[in-house]
Amino acid sequence: MRYVTIPADKMADYITALARRQKVVAPVEKGKGQFAFEPISEGREATLTYIPTILPPKKFFMPQYETLLEYDLHEGQKMQAVVELEEMVLFGVHTCDLAGIACLNTVFSDRPKDLNYLIRKNKIVIIGLECVAYCDEYASCALMNNHLPNGGYDLFLTPLGDRYIGHVNTYIGDSLVEEGGFFRDATGADFAALEEVRRRKREVFHDEVPIDLDEIPRIFAHSLRTTIWKEIGDRCLSCGNCTNVCPTCYCFDIVDKPNLDLKSGRRIRVWDSCQNERFAKIAGGESFRKERSSRKRHRFFRKFRYPVDRFGKFFCTGCGRCSRTCMARINLKETLAQLAREYV
Amino acid sequence: MKPRIAFFDFACCEGCQLQVANLGEALLDVLKLVDVVEFREVMSEKWAGPLDIAVVEGSITTKEAVERIEKIRARSRILIAYGSCATIGGVNGMKNRSPLEEIRRTVYGEHAHTFPTIATRPVDQVVKVDYYVHGCPIWPPEFIEVLQAALQGVPCFPPDHAVCVECKLNENVCLYDKGVTCLGPVTRAGCNSWCTNNGNICYGCRGLVSNPNTKGAMDVLARYRIPLELVLNKMSMYNACREQGKTP
Ligand code: SF4
Ligand code: SF4
Ligand code: SF4
Ligand code: SF4
Ligand code: SF4
Repeated sequence: MRYVTIPADKMADYITALARRQKVVAPVEKGKGQFAFEPISEGREATLTYIPTILPPKKFFMPQYETLLEYDLHEGQKMQAVVELEEMVLFGVHTCDLAGIACLNTVFSDRPKDLNYLIRKNKIVIIGLECVAYCDEYASCALMNNHLPNGGYDLFLTPLGDRYIGHVNTYIGDSLVEEGGFFRDATGADFAALEEVRRRKREVFHDEVPIDLDEIPRIFAHSLRTTIWKEIGDRCLSCGNCTNVCPTCYCFDIVDKPNLDLKSGRRIRVWDSCQNERFAKIAGGESFRKERSSRKRHRFFRKFRYPVDRFGKFFCTGCGRCSRTCMARINLKETLAQLAREYV
Repeated sequence: MKPRIAFFDFACCEGCQLQVANLGEALLDVLKLVDVVEFREVMSEKWAGPLDIAVVEGSITTKEAVERIEKIRARSRILIAYGSCATIGGVNGMKNRSPLEEIRRTVYGEHAHTFPTIATRPVDQVVKVDYYVHGCPIWPPEFIEVLQAALQGVPCFPPDHAVCVECKLNENVCLYDKGVTCLGPVTRAGCNSWCTNNGNICYGCRGLVSNPNTKGAMDVLARYRIPLELVLNKMSMYNACREQGKTP
């Protein structure tokens, strides 16, 4: 297990050096306190103190619009599977988003394996970045146990004031810290400083919602018929923002996009959402989740119950994006607290 | 023989037809697929025979218009309602919010009696419509998509989810975060969030989604201290014809 450090004032130069050699995407400020992961060419374009980006890193693992197949009917029926891969370094991923990527990995590795996803994922190098303070009041990463690093990265950086300490987790991580001689091996004082950051963090990061993680399965086992779903369903506009910004929502639709010759074209996958009107509509016009209340319930069950049964893990990372983006102010922390109150 | 296509306009500004001329390079590819036999914006020829595809722009607002659209329908294999005036009544629908006589006098004054008029209707409230291209103006890539479907003889349904979906996929900073209200959450997508991509609000030109949460939307808008009347005006600018019938 290798730890290294880099002076804080050298970080921008280091990112620039990385970006000279390969595509680097990092959090970039978009105004109004919002951020997005975008390709950069200079380290100073990146912002290393940021709240969760509008879209999570999932957009690189399963792009909004992704070609899966190209077809050509000019002579017979030709079809060619396509993987649109992109090598890149994903710089500055918070622990909540590392957890989100881990959830997607779980889903797309399940049978039938999703080869497009798995091939893309193998080309993405991940550099994590620890939060030493909460991003904002919407976060519940400590409740979900995602406020501390738990693997899923090649290199993980923790700010220690005048320097960063980096945990090298893979061979790729090893080569990352060789770049340009910016890093040196960590010493006892660095480890002590890291320990101090974590100690302080444990004091601040806890109890975002007045429940225990272990209670959640029981709470959800009893919340199928509560009126809370109707209450938030009445406010929800079905805009789909909460699912599109969620790092663990992975539902998609498959669409054919013919070229203008009408003979050739592409088959693409595009993000879909259980909040959308047609999502659960079937032939004949019947919809399994016609009521907004049932769609809202479905979203929460898809985070806190179904994946627990199926994969043994929660599919909420606590990133707070769904609450941050909701113009109807439907707030995940409040809903969890409400459900807990009703159950107790 | 290539399929014959013609463009017709009723009550509208003809801006949507102009969008066809604006297709640029794609227009040349489109012209390889069809034979344009009537299109007032770009050519003077007329065509009275049978049509494979009629592209109809504008709302139906007079008795003569009713007769004319019925005749067009009768000689067209496929009819595409083109632009919000045609698909949902569009801004013309605002006419329906006051008594016809009163509206007529306001607009034409003492000559009102020489301008007989009927309530504004989108095309599908008069004749059968096979395909819809919403928007004010239409978004050109969507028109191409609909045209492709019509030529292939397959159905093509406009999306029935919110503009927000496309806006989020484009990762725009939400206007609500800028302290501005936006009709994206109740407006039918399909324009690739054209306006919000360019920093504008969505003013709802494609019409409401089929099942909007009107009450919830008013609550959200009200939080921004906009008078209720203004909220209702905003929502009905393009949607006043809605009560009269359903549009997919
Ligand atoms: S973001 Fe809010 S309004 Fe939009 S679908 Fe989600 S809960 Fe409903
Ligand atoms: S449900 Fe909300 S808080 Fe949980 S991972 Fe998704 S966006 Fe983040
Ligand atoms: S939710 Fe937690 S881990 Fe994620 S950005 Fe906020 S503080 Fe950091
Ligand atoms: S800017 Fe408008 S369309 Fe975009 S997400 Fe916000 S409300 Fe929806
Ligand atoms: S963003 Fe809204 S107003 Fe603009 S084109 Fe789309 S539907 Fe029309």
